[in-house]
Amino acid sequence: MLNSGVSAYAAIQARVRAMYSTLLTSPTWAELCEADDFSILIELIRQTAYGPYLSRVQNNLLTPRRSIFQIEQRVADDYLTIIRLAPSSTRPLLTQLYRHFEIDNLKAVLRGIVTEAAWERVLYLLFPLGPMTVLPARRMMEAGSMEAAVELLRSTVYYDTLSHSMERYTAEQSLFPMEVALDLTYWRTLWRDMNQLPGEDRSRALRVVGSLVDMNNIMWAIRYRVYHHLSEEEIINYTLPFGYRVQDENIRSIAAGADITQIVTRLYPQLTGVDALLQQPQQGLPELELQLQRQVAEQCRTAFAGYPFHVGILLGYLILTEWETHDLTVLIEAKAAQMPVDQFESHLLVGYPSA
Amino acid sequence: MFYSQAMTEVEMVIPAKHLMAVTDELAGLDVFHQIDTSYMSSEAGPDSARSWQQRAVTYASLERQLLSTMQTLGVEQGSPPLADELTMIEIEVVQSLIERIGQEVQTASEQEVTRQNRLEQLESYLCQLEPLADLDLDFGMLRHPHHIFSMLGMIPATNLERLQTSLARTPFVLLTLSEEGTKRVVWLTGAKRDADILERAARSAYLNPLDLPVIHHGTVPEIIESLHTAIERARQHLAEQETEIKVMHENYQPQLRQILWRVRSSRMITEAIAHFGKLHHTYLIVGWVPAARVAELREGLKGVAEEILIDTHPTQRNNPQRNVPVALGNTGIAGTFQPLVTTYAQPRYEEIDPTMLIALTFPLLYGVMFGDVGHGLILALLGWLMSSGKIRALRSMASLGGIIVACGLMATVFGFLYGSVFGSENLLPALWLRPMENITQILLIAIGFGIVLLSTGFLLNIWNAWIVRDWGRLFFDHNGVAGFILFLSLIGVGAGALVSGFPIPPTVLIALAVGAGAVVMFSEALKNLVEKHHPLIEGGPGTYIIQAFFELFETLISLFSNSLSYVRIGAFAVAHGGLSAVIFILADMVGSPHSVGYWIVILLGQLFIVGFEGLIVGIQTMRLEYYEFFSKFFSGGGTRYEPLTLLPPADK
Repeated sequence: MLNSGVSAYAAIQARVRAMYSTLLTSPTWAELCEADDFSILIELIRQTAYGPYLSRVQNNLLTPRRSIFQIEQRVADDYLTIIRLAPSSTRPLLTQLYRHFEIDNLKAVLRGIVTEAAWERVLYLLFPLGPMTVLPARRMMEAGSMEAAVELLRSTVYYDTLSHSMERYTAEQSLFPMEVALDLTYWRTLWRDMNQLPGEDRSRALRVVGSLVDMNNIMWAIRYRVYHHLSEEEIINYTLPFGYRVQDENIRSIAAGADITQIVTRLYPQLTGVDALLQQPQQGLPELELQLQRQVAEQCRTAFAGYPFHVGILLGYLILTEWETHDLTVLIEAKAAQMPVDQFESHLLVGYPSA
Repeated sequence: MFYSQAMTEVEMVIPAKHLMAVTDELAGLDVFHQIDTSYMSSEAGPDSARSWQQRAVTYASLERQLLSTMQTLGVEQGSPPLADELTMIEIEVVQSLIERIGQEVQTASEQEVTRQNRLEQLESYLCQLEPLADLDLDFGMLRHPHHIFSMLGMIPATNLERLQTSLARTPFVLLTLSEEGTKRVVWLTGAKRDADILERAARSAYLNPLDLPVIHHGTVPEIIESLHTAIERARQHLAEQETEIKVMHENYQPQLRQILWRVRSSRMITEAIAHFGKLHHTYLIVGWVPAARVAELREGLKGVAEEILIDTHPTQRNNPQRNVPVALGNTGIAGTFQPLVTTYAQPRYEEIDPTMLIALTFPLLYGVMFGDVGHGLILALLGWLMSSGKIRALRSMASLGGIIVACGLMATVFGFLYGSVFGSENLLPALWLRPMENITQILLIAIGFGIVLLSTGFLLNIWNAWIVRDWGRLFFDHNGVAGFILFLSLIGVGAGALVSGFPIPPTVLIALAVGAGAVVMFSEALKNLVEKHHPLIEGGPGTYIIQAFFELFETLISLFSNSLSYVRIGAFAVAHGGLSAVIFILADMVGSPHSVGYWIVILLGQLFIVGFEGLIVGIQTMRLEYYEFFSKFFSGGGTRYEPLTLLPPADK
């Protein structure tokens, strides 16, 4: 009884709803978008729930990159709080969801090793994971070689995947196989953890996690075909056989050369202009991905309607807050580059005017 | 008692020759909160702030190298040594030593990893070949057959199904030969003409083909035999390497620990010096010390050198601009409640430290809501076990122990007042009243209690504003004099309507409420007027009036909801009795008091009440303290007092 339903979620759902209420509102987004420059934007962000995170750093040290780093700390704090308070049956799923930041950090470190970047350059590109990370990032950067860096991960969940894909890295001198292997392992584990949830939680989590899997899977398939020109077999092996709306036959059809527009439009009838987007993949695919992300964001908001005692609320909030920081990142970078609103507005996810 | 420790600003001018001795003394005394005066230093030169900062960075880098070396050798940091042993160590002296040991350890460690990998590789070859041990044919024919495609290798088990899916339109045979953890040894074969497709599919499914070194050749059994020999040899080499690292561990452990602590304290000292102000032949050091410990500082420094100039400036609490560090000096039971305050916010120097208030009101509110002799004593016992550390599982919650003891004891006191013991109201006489039988009375008392507490909040805010001479906040703020008058007059109006013969006529109270409401409504303009800020109002008058009206509306709503919020005190007291009655009814339904079932239900019910209701009451108490009470007068945002030390606080 204590692991599901009302008793398990009474406190955490109230807490998450309180946190949800601190997400930025449309008027705030409008105000942020209209900020004259970077410093005014930072002052405006200070007045939001991100204020305390920016105040931890002296004003003169708040570069755009550092500001983003500080803002991301709120996401980390939210994850840690929710994981700590969530029912024990949901913690593996939430922890695995959190792990995608660690995967991103790991990729950044691997890229840093390949490009022989200085630690100081990589440091603020890393998501501030706090005490939950298992990556010895700095030691990896200082290890001197990819083999030695991977060796430092021996006691972590990543070692098996990386050491196996290392053979391909050595042969091809490309990080692509390692990154794909990391992604596939991550999503398979997330899916497994989701399927281990009890009944109601599983079906609620499926809507959110499944939508995320769908989005990634279909974008991978399209990119592998359109950008990388991979063969049918490769596309299938580099994608996932499960999802919420997107099924394996859809992915296999894309891999086999079927009309992408038709498949995407059938799966996401709300999307418009898919054909035009695919005509110019260079600009069109990022735009398509944004539209799919907005669909997922809608799914996350829907989780807050109706019966409140389920894991969907926790997942929905965590994804929304993460995408809020994505939008703040876009804003900060745009304002630092003095871009006009119409040039960056379309890159916003949850802060997009019609979102 | 109601304020943080009084602080004194200390300015010291020290001759350059005593720099190290003075810094050592300051760090050793553990009382001096430093302020950055490095902006006074020259830009360059060996004694510039930048130079000291670079030294601190070098020490930090050396510390990291040391920790990495120690981690590789499996050497723990150990306990910090005595302060006398934490003398400064010169970079030039220690750098080459750390690098030499680090290099030696790293080489040995890399050698170990190489040998370990070699062993694993050989074992992997063996694992892949063993399923084919019965094939007495040349292995080369299997790897490079003339007429078919053939690939023997290892694939993650999770990729197997996907590989088969990807080859759905190509003829192939995929045999799983053996299992090795999360991997599978497989043999993939198909037509030579499909070699490209099969190879692409295999590669993208991460099927790593068996790539035997040329020294292993011949038939499969011959190769297996040679692999066994190679594995035996690799194991010996690895064992030798492990022994070498163990010897290094034994030899270097004391030296590495000693260097680590000295490097760490050197880093702390150089970081401190980097924030000193360098004059021509002297240094200016500025910071804060608790007033009670200034004499100790003076004496310590005079012991180092007589010519040190020390100037002290006792600090008043009426200057909020000064950002004085806050040293909360609560001890005993009040100290136990201090984390509840700092979790909310760090008090500012000029404002009242609410720790003592929360230490008084928190257990009181808790006791009123959870009044029960039996449950209270259980909570007190639980709290004592937590704080005593006698039970390992509860040690992590030791800091909560004192709070739970206080709440449990207060619940016991109210248990006697309510005549309630383990939910039963038949065993003890009520010394005051029984909440279940006096519901209206207890709810009214709760509201009355809330009014007293909120009034205290108003008065404290007025006092805080008086201390910093913030007249606008004092007179016009919704938590200031105007807000307080509005609050009291509205209560008076309510009381007048309910109580006949109320001494103050309603017209007077309504006039007071309207007047105070108007002041609160236009508080922003009035504050600007008093503080001579222009313009008095932002935006146009229309916008301002609408905004001011809604602010007044919000103030009225919050006054009303804040007061009613305290109803929960009485409601929980009643609910406790009700919940206990339900437990007894459930027990009666299960069996008679002579049956085991009856007592099982009673036991589970009591556990439920102590665990579940006890927790909820705790949350409600915290809510009343934080949201209703603290928000009236406590703004926080103070600077934590962090004295200079020889080691980081976490290591002390």
